[in-house]
Amino acid sequence: MVRIIAGVTCAFLLSALCPSEAEARSLHATPLNYNLIFRQDTVPKVLKKAIDTAAWVNNVSRRNKGIDSLNLKVLALSPNISLQQMLKGGIAGLYVQETNAEPGTEQSMLIRGLSAPVFKRRDIYAVQPIVYLNGIPLTQDNPFAFDIQKYDYNRIGPATNLLAGIDISNISSIEVIKDPAALALLGPNAANGAIWVTTKQAKTGFRKISVNSYFGMVQAGSANTVNAAFENNFRKPFYQKYATVADYANYAGYLSDSTNTDYYGPSNWNDLYYKTKPIYSVDLSLTGGSDRANFRFFGGVTRNAGSADETSLNRYNATFQINMAPFEWLTVSSMVNVVKMDRSRNRSLTDRYAETRYLTDFSSPLSPNKLSYGGFLNEYEKAIDENSNNLIQGSFGLTFKLNKVKFTSSLMFDYTEGIRDVFYPSTLMEGNNYVSNYFGFNQRAIWDNAFTYDWKINQDHKIDFRLGQSLQYDVYKYNYANAYNGPNDFIKINLVDRNLEAYHSFYVFRYTDREKATLASFYGSAKYSYKDLLEFRAVLRNDGSSSGQPSSRWMIAPAASASWNLKNQFLKANNFFQDLSAQVSYGRSAKLFLDDRFSGGPQYRVEGGSKEEPTIPSYGGQGGVTRPYTSGWVGYGIKMPHTDQFNFTLAGSMLKDRLTASATWYLKEDKDMVLNIPLPAESGYTSEFRSGLGVKNTGLDLTLSALMLKSVRGLNWNTGLNFNINKNKLQTLPGGLKSLIIGDNKLEVGKPIDAFWVYQNEGIYNTNGEVPVNPADNQRLSFDGLDLKAGDPKWKDQNGDFVINQKDKVLTGNRLPVFTGGWSNGFSYGNWDLNFQIFFAVGNKAINKYDASRYDFINQEFTNNIYSIKEVTSWQTSSDVKSYPVYNVWSNVIPYRADQDLFLENASYAKLRAVSVGYDFSKSRMFKAMNSGISRAYLYVTANNLVTVTSFSGRDPELVDYTGMYTGAGIPIPRTFTLGIKLDL
Amino acid sequence: MKQMKMISFNNSNIFLKKALGLVVLSALVLGSFSCNKELEVKPSRYTVDKNHWKSIDDAKSGIFGMYGLMRTAITSDNLHWLMGDLRQGDFVATSRPDLKAIINGQLNASYPVLNEITNWRKFYAVINSTSLFIERSREIVEADKRYTPVNNNVDVAQARALRAFAYFYMVRIWGDVPLLTSSHDGNFEQHDRTAQAKVLAFAESELILAAKVLPYYYGGTDPQLPGEYFGITAQGLNGVLFTKISAYALLAHVSAWQGRYIDTEIYTKFIMDNYTKGDGYGPRYINMDELTGTGSGSPFAYKRGTIIVGFSSEYGNGESTANGHIEQLTLAQPLVQKIRPDIYVPKEVIAAAFTDRKDLRFGLDTITKIHRTPYFVNFTTDMPIFKKIAILANGGSAGSFAIFSSTALFTRLEELTLLRAEALAVIGQRTDAIANLNIVLSQRGVAAIEALSTKDLIDEIFAERRRELMGEGWRWYDLIRYNKIKGTNPDFNKLITEKGIYWPISKDVINANPMITQNTYWK
Repeated sequence: MVRIIAGVTCAFLLSALCPSEAEARSLHATPLNYNLIFRQDTVPKVLKKAIDTAAWVNNVSRRNKGIDSLNLKVLALSPNISLQQMLKGGIAGLYVQETNAEPGTEQSMLIRGLSAPVFKRRDIYAVQPIVYLNGIPLTQDNPFAFDIQKYDYNRIGPATNLLAGIDISNISSIEVIKDPAALALLGPNAANGAIWVTTKQAKTGFRKISVNSYFGMVQAGSANTVNAAFENNFRKPFYQKYATVADYANYAGYLSDSTNTDYYGPSNWNDLYYKTKPIYSVDLSLTGGSDRANFRFFGGVTRNAGSADETSLNRYNATFQINMAPFEWLTVSSMVNVVKMDRSRNRSLTDRYAETRYLTDFSSPLSPNKLSYGGFLNEYEKAIDENSNNLIQGSFGLTFKLNKVKFTSSLMFDYTEGIRDVFYPSTLMEGNNYVSNYFGFNQRAIWDNAFTYDWKINQDHKIDFRLGQSLQYDVYKYNYANAYNGPNDFIKINLVDRNLEAYHSFYVFRYTDREKATLASFYGSAKYSYKDLLEFRAVLRNDGSSSGQPSSRWMIAPAASASWNLKNQFLKANNFFQDLSAQVSYGRSAKLFLDDRFSGGPQYRVEGGSKEEPTIPSYGGQGGVTRPYTSGWVGYGIKMPHTDQFNFTLAGSMLKDRLTASATWYLKEDKDMVLNIPLPAESGYTSEFRSGLGVKNTGLDLTLSALMLKSVRGLNWNTGLNFNINKNKLQTLPGGLKSLIIGDNKLEVGKPIDAFWVYQNEGIYNTNGEVPVNPADNQRLSFDGLDLKAGDPKWKDQNGDFVINQKDKVLTGNRLPVFTGGWSNGFSYGNWDLNFQIFFAVGNKAINKYDASRYDFINQEFTNNIYSIKEVTSWQTSSDVKSYPVYNVWSNVIPYRADQDLFLENASYAKLRAVSVGYDFSKSRMFKAMNSGISRAYLYVTANNLVTVTSFSGRDPELVDYTGMYTGAGIPIPRTFTLGIKLDL
Repeated sequence: MKQMKMISFNNSNIFLKKALGLVVLSALVLGSFSCNKELEVKPSRYTVDKNHWKSIDDAKSGIFGMYGLMRTAITSDNLHWLMGDLRQGDFVATSRPDLKAIINGQLNASYPVLNEITNWRKFYAVINSTSLFIERSREIVEADKRYTPVNNNVDVAQARALRAFAYFYMVRIWGDVPLLTSSHDGNFEQHDRTAQAKVLAFAESELILAAKVLPYYYGGTDPQLPGEYFGITAQGLNGVLFTKISAYALLAHVSAWQGRYIDTEIYTKFIMDNYTKGDGYGPRYINMDELTGTGSGSPFAYKRGTIIVGFSSEYGNGESTANGHIEQLTLAQPLVQKIRPDIYVPKEVIAAAFTDRKDLRFGLDTITKIHRTPYFVNFTTDMPIFKKIAILANGGSAGSFAIFSSTALFTRLEELTLLRAEALAVIGQRTDAIANLNIVLSQRGVAAIEALSTKDLIDEIFAERRRELMGEGWRWYDLIRYNKIKGTNPDFNKLITEKGIYWPISKDVINANPMITQNTYWK
C-alpha cells in the first residue's frame, strides 16, 4: 500500500503499471522535479514502517495515475467552494457548467457526456457521478421531493450542494476514474463515473502543522441599467405596427405613466443588488504520531460570497483521523469528517414564489429605483430564510495481514441533513405571510469486507486476487410543512404539529416522505502481471438492489482489462520514449434507481392533484388512493439498467519525461434505462415507465503535459492541456419505438438526446399576400389550424402540407458542448511562480429564453403565472443584445415562442478562469537564516474569472440551464481577487 | 528484464483460469442467496398490487380517490369555466390572450392552457379508476368482513355514475370520444373514437343501473344504505357523493343533450317528486342569500346537500387552492388584492341580461337607487367584478389571502328545475313549464310569467338560465341546446353541422395515439 500512496506522486507518468523503477526515477532522476511542482500534497518519502492509514481507500486500483488527477497545488490558490468548481476544466471528459454562481447552490457535472435525456430538473440527479471521500461513496439529495413540488426550480429544503462541503486544504488528491474495469470494480454506485477524493492522511513522525488562509473580495457585478423609458421604447414599434385601440387601453400599467418616478426615475437598483463582498478562509491541520499510532486533525472556516443579492455560504470543517497498529498484523484506521454549511440564499421573486406556490399580482414589477427597491429589501429584513446542512462522514477500518493474505473490514457511514426555515412577512405577499420548515436527511451505512491475496508465482508471474462483499443501506427522508396567512408578522415559527386550530388561522400543509434502498454486492477480481510487460485484470461483480424488481434485481457485471507496456516490450533501448503503453478495458456496471417505485410493480399512490395543484390531500376530507395516473404506470418487466464501457488508451512519456501524453478513445453505452414514455391519453395515465432506453456516448480524451522550459536557477515553464470530444446518440427507445415526443422535446433514434426541437424561422410575413396558399384547396398556410397573417413569423413548412405543426419542427443543435477542455500553465523563477488556467466549451447551443420572454411580453405579462415575474435584474441591457424581427405580439400563433431557431444561439465559450502569482519565502535566504522551522511560507495573489470569450448574446453562456435554456435567472459568476498564505511548520 | 522476450501464455493460462474460476464461483454462490431478504425493502410511498383490494380502507380510499380525480379533471386549469362560460358567453377577458382566444372561438390558438384543457386524459383517469373499482372492489367483500355487499353495491353504483358523468362531460366537449368500458389494467392499447350516441347510450344505461342502487343520502337512515358510511355520518358526506338524485340529474342532462326531452321530463319529474327524501341532507331551493353567501344552503361554500352534482374543496380539509376555482378568474380589487380580474361581465351585458329591476341578483334598489350587489360589485366602473361565487379561504368573500374554497358545481335544484321547464316547453306542456320557471324566478324576485303570457317560453327559460347560472359553467352548453331547439341562428347552425361546437383535441393526445385525429373543424 505504501507503494500506491507513493504512486500517486508519479503524477504525470503514464505507465499503466506505475512500476517502481519509474517511481524512483521520477523522484530522484532530475534535480528539479516538475512533478513536485504540481503536487505539494504528497510527501514522497513515506517511512516504510509507517501505518497504512487508509487501506481500503487505496484498494481501488487507479490506473491513470496523474493523468486524471487535479493539480491541487495550483487549484488550492483559487477560492473554489464546491467540488464541481474545482473540477471545472481540469480533467479531460469531465464537464462542469456553473448554471448559477450562487454560493452553495446545487451544481452538476457530467463525465463523458450525457447518459440519459435531461428534460426536467430531477433528471439531472440520475446522471451524476459518484464522489468518494476516502473510499466512502457520498450520498446526494434524492430528487423524490420533486413529487410534491409544483415548479421545477430548486428542490425544497436548503437545496445546498453537498459537494460544497469539501475543503481543498484538507485534500491530498482528486482523481476522476474513467477506466471501465476500475469503475466496474467500484460497482453500481459508480455507473456514471467516479470522483475519488482522498484527504491528507495522518502521518507518523514529528508533529507537523499547516496553516492556510486567504482573504479576498468578490467584485460587485456590473449592469447597464435601464428604466421604464427603455422598456417603453422597446414596445413602441410593436404597438405602432399592430396594436388596436383595445390593446392601447390595455397598456402595461407600470409603463403608462411617465411621471411615475418608481419606474421612470433613475435606474440604480444595481447599487443595492450587486455588492463587493469579502470572502475568507482559514484552516489548520496537525499531524503526528509514533510508529504504532498516528493522527491528523484538520479544522477550517470558509466564507464564500456571491457578487449579487447578498448570497453567501459559511462553512465549517473538521476532520479527525486516528490510525493504530497494535500488532504487526493489524491496522486500525478511523476517520470522522464533520461539515456544517449555512447558506444565505438569494431574494429572487421566482425562487420565492416557487417555494410559496402562492402567486400574487405580477402586473407591477419591482421598481428599478434604489429608493423603491430598497423599500422592498427592507421588508426582506423581516423575512427568515435559514438554510443549513450538517454533514458527517466516517469510517472505521480493520486490516489484518497474515502472510500474503490481507483482510480488510470497514464500516463507513455518511449522514447529511438539511434544514430550512422560511418566513416571508405579509408585506412581501399581498398581505399574507408564509412559513415553511424543512428537515430532511440522507443516510448511508456500508459494511465492506474484502480479502486480498498476492500470489507471486515466480519472478515473472504474479496474480493479485481480491474477493469482497459489501452491504449498503440508504435512507432518504424529509418532513416538510408550509403554512399560509398567519395572524401577524411576529409569529414566525410554525411548529410542525397536528393541531390546526392551535396556529391562529395559519393554513398548514404537511408533507413527509421516506425512501429506503439497499444494495448488496459480491465481487472478485484477479490481476495477473507478466514481468513488467503485460497485465490482465478480470473483475466480476454480482449486485442486488432493493429498488430493482424482484425478478431482475440482481445483475452480474463483468469487466476485463489488459495493458501492454510497449516501451519495455519493444523500445527498451530507445531514448526518445521513456514510457509507452497501450491499454484496453471493458466493464459493465449496473445502474441504480434513485426512485423506489419500480420494485413493487403495479401500485397505488396518493396522487389526486393536477399540475397546478399537485398536492391536494383529499376529497370531502377523506384521503384518496388511486393508480399513479399522473406520475406514470409501473408494470412488471423493468430491468436493471446498466452501462457498458470500452476504452482504448495509448499513453507515453517522451523527451526525458518532459512531454507526456495520453489519448483514450471510449465508447459508453447505457442500456435498458427506464424512460417515462407517454401513453395514449385514453388509458388515463400520462405515461408509463418502461425499460429500453439506450444511449451511446463516444469520444476521445486527450491529456498532454509538457515541461517547456527547465532550468534549476532560471525560468521553468510547464503546460498542460486536457481535451475531450464527445458525441451522444440515442440507440434505442422502449418497445422498439423510433421516435418519441415528450412535452416540448423529441427523442429520435440515431439522433443526439440533447438536441433542440424547434421550428425554423425564415423571417416575417409583411402582408397577408405573402402567406403561401395551398394550390390544392386554396387554403392559406396555417399554424396548427390558425391562418398565418401579416406580422406572423415565416416558419418553414418542412413537409409542405401547408400546415405548420409539430411535424415541421426539426432536431438541431445540442445543449452540451462537443469539445471541452482546459489549458493550464505554470511558470516559476526562483521563489516566484505564476499560474493561469483557461477552460473552454465549444459546440454547445442555447435557447435565449430571456430574449424570447422579453419579446413575448404580451403573453408573459398578461398570463399571471410564475413566468410573468420580472426580476429586478430585468432592468438592464447590454451592448450584445440581439434584435429580432418585429412580429405581431398579439397573434395567437405566439410569434416569439421559445421553440424556434430564432432564439437558438451558439453558446461556445472560453474563459480565463484563474491567474495567480506566488512567492515562497521559506526558500529565501533571509528565511533560511532565521532557522524558523518553517518549511514552507507561500504568499500568493489570485484573480478569478477575468475574461470570457463568447459570441453568446446573454450575460454568460455558462448560465444556461440543464435544458439548454438561458433564462437570465442565474447569479453571475463574479470576478474575485484573493490574497493568501500557506504555512507549513 | 534485460532482454526482450515475446510473451508466452503457456504457464499463465492455467493460473488465470484457476483464479478466475475461484472468483466467479465464490461470487455467484455468495450472491443471490443470503441477501435476497435484505433487498425486500417495503416501500412506504405506495401499496403494491397484491396488497391492495384487501381491506375496507382500500374501498374507502378508492371511492374518495375517484371523486378526487373527477374534481381534478374539471377544475385543473379552470377547465369547467373556461369551456363552459367563455365561448360566446357574457364574460370578457381583460388581457389574457388565451382567454380572449376562447371567447372569440379561436380554440386552436397556440396557448399552453388551451393545450392542457383539450387533453382528455384527466377524464380517462376517472374512467380508468372507476372501471378498476367496478372490477375489483368485490374482492374486498371476501377479504374484509367489515365491508358489506350492500356497501359494495352502492360503491360500484357510484363508480358507474361517476364514469357515466365523465363520459357525458367529455361528449359535451369533444363529441365522439373513445369508449372504454373496462380498465384494461396494465394493457395500453390504442382506441379509436366512438360515436357520441353510443357513448351516451352507455352512460345512460349505467346511470339507470346506478340510480336503482344509490341512496338518497349517505350516513343516515336511507333505506338502501342505512348507517354510517365508512364510519362517517351524514354531516360529513353532505353533497360529497353521488346520490339517487345525482344519477337522475345526469340522466336528465344526457337525454336533454340528445334532444330527447320526453325522457328529460320523466327524469326531472322523478327528481321533483323525490328530492326531499334526503332527510334534510338532500337538495332544496335556495334563496338569494344562500346562493351568494356562505349560509347553510350555499352550494358553493363547504360541502352542502344542495350540491346535486358538484365537487367541493373544503378549507378545513386543506382542499382550498388558488387554482381551479372561478374566483381565480373573476375576483379582483376591492375583494382581493389582484388589480384587475382576468374576466368580467361588461355593464352593457349585465344590463341586457338582468332586465327586471326587482331582480335580487342584480337590479336597482328603488328606494336607495343603488345597484344590488350579490352578483356584481363596482357596477359603475368599466370593469364590474363578478362576485356571485366568492368563497375565500374559510368562507369569507373578501380578503388578502386569495385561496379559494368554492365548489365546482355542475348542477343544483334550480338548474334542474329550469331544465325541467325547458323539457316541458319543448314537448308543449306550456303551463307546467311556466310553473317550473316561476319557481326559480320567484326565488330571485323576478316577476313571474303569467299563465297566459305569449312570451317565447324557450327564450325566457334560457334568459333565466343565463342569469341564474352565470359563472357555473353552463353558458356555452346552453347556447348549443338553445340553438338546437331554435335553429334560427345561421352561424350557429353552421357551427353545429360542421361540428365546430366541439373543441379541438390536444396535440398531446394525438401524439400519443395515432388513431385519434383532429376534429375536422379545427384542422
